[in-house]
Amino acid sequence: MASMDVGPQKGSKKPLDVNINVIPIIDLMAVIISFLLLTAVWTQVGRLQVAQAGGAGEPSEEAVKTTPVTLRLTEKEASLSVGAVAPEVFPLSRNPDSKLLDLTGLTGRLREVKTQLPEQDTITIQTEDTVRYEDLVHVIDASRGAGLKSVSVQATAG
Amino acid sequence: MAIKVPGKRYGKRLRKSKVFGGGPPGGKGANNVDLNMTPLVDMFVIMVLFLIANFSATGEIINQSQDIELPEAKHVEGLQLTTVIRVSMTDIYVETDPIAKVSDVLGEEYLNIPALEEKLRTVKADYEKLHASTGKEFTGDINIQAHKDLSFNVMKRIMYSAAVAGYGNINFAVNGTPPEEGVAAATP
Repeated sequence: MASMDVGPQKGSKKPLDVNINVIPIIDLMAVIISFLLLTAVWTQVGRLQVAQAGGAGEPSEEAVKTTPVTLRLTEKEASLSVGAVAPEVFPLSRNPDSKLLDLTGLTGRLREVKTQLPEQDTITIQTEDTVRYEDLVHVIDASRGAGLKSVSVQATAG
Repeated sequence: MAIKVPGKRYGKRLRKSKVFGGGPPGGKGANNVDLNMTPLVDMFVIMVLFLIANFSATGEIINQSQDIELPEAKHVEGLQLTTVIRVSMTDIYVETDPIAKVSDVLGEEYLNIPALEEKLRTVKADYEKLHASTGKEFTGDINIQAHKDLSFNVMKRIMYSAAVAGYGNINFAVNGTPPEEGVAAATP
């Protein structure tokens, strides 16, 4: 047990042992740990901001006139059209381990679009009803990672 | 002077030492038991360092429930404290108030969810009343905390109802994962 050394007595020699009192540091650690455990955040939750394209709602600011980039998303494929160019189709496969869509080809093409059009910031994702929410989030994430930060989501007709 | 049993004896100085002063080997057992505090202090130091590394000044903004499994994303922004629409596989809530069943919503012909729109309009009106004197404008931010296996059919109805009620800035709550190496990290 930690104890206090009262120092040498008159006529006695200096004792050999040096006792460090660890009680205060243990008390301090216990208080700090209790506080940090109460305020700890165990999961990092973030947000993906999206706009609803073509839907009802309050009018937003006038968008800067840029080349329209539209991605039509179904369960099986994604069709990317840039301006008036014919759409490019990317078949979507699923990773057997993570069950997530493999968006390597699509992400690469989106990065090329951003390189060709540096001022382009917006993309509209037209999504079919049967598409899973997780897949939509994955595509939005890929778009933001490619540099197209302003993502609008729209439902396809039918 | 007392008569002692012959054997190893320690000098006067060493008798005061805890290491050597316990008496000769095989002597009487001490009544006091010394507790070694060093491992306890080491454990506390490691726990404090770990918890400080995990410390977040913003705290928990969204209460995660067991029936909602959020999707993951890498390029996320920091979550803001605002109204939350929670959507599990079966129910739709605004904060903790149940609004509608997902199965009922899917069977509707119209895009709008009337109960959800009405609740959001009420929340918006309360906000505007509360902040009338401060001049703080209603920003239209809303967080949607939805299960990852939901179809877009449900999501589009919720987004439409929120937009009609005046919530134009929709944020999907997701679990943030670290981005790949060489990619810019998430912005707060």
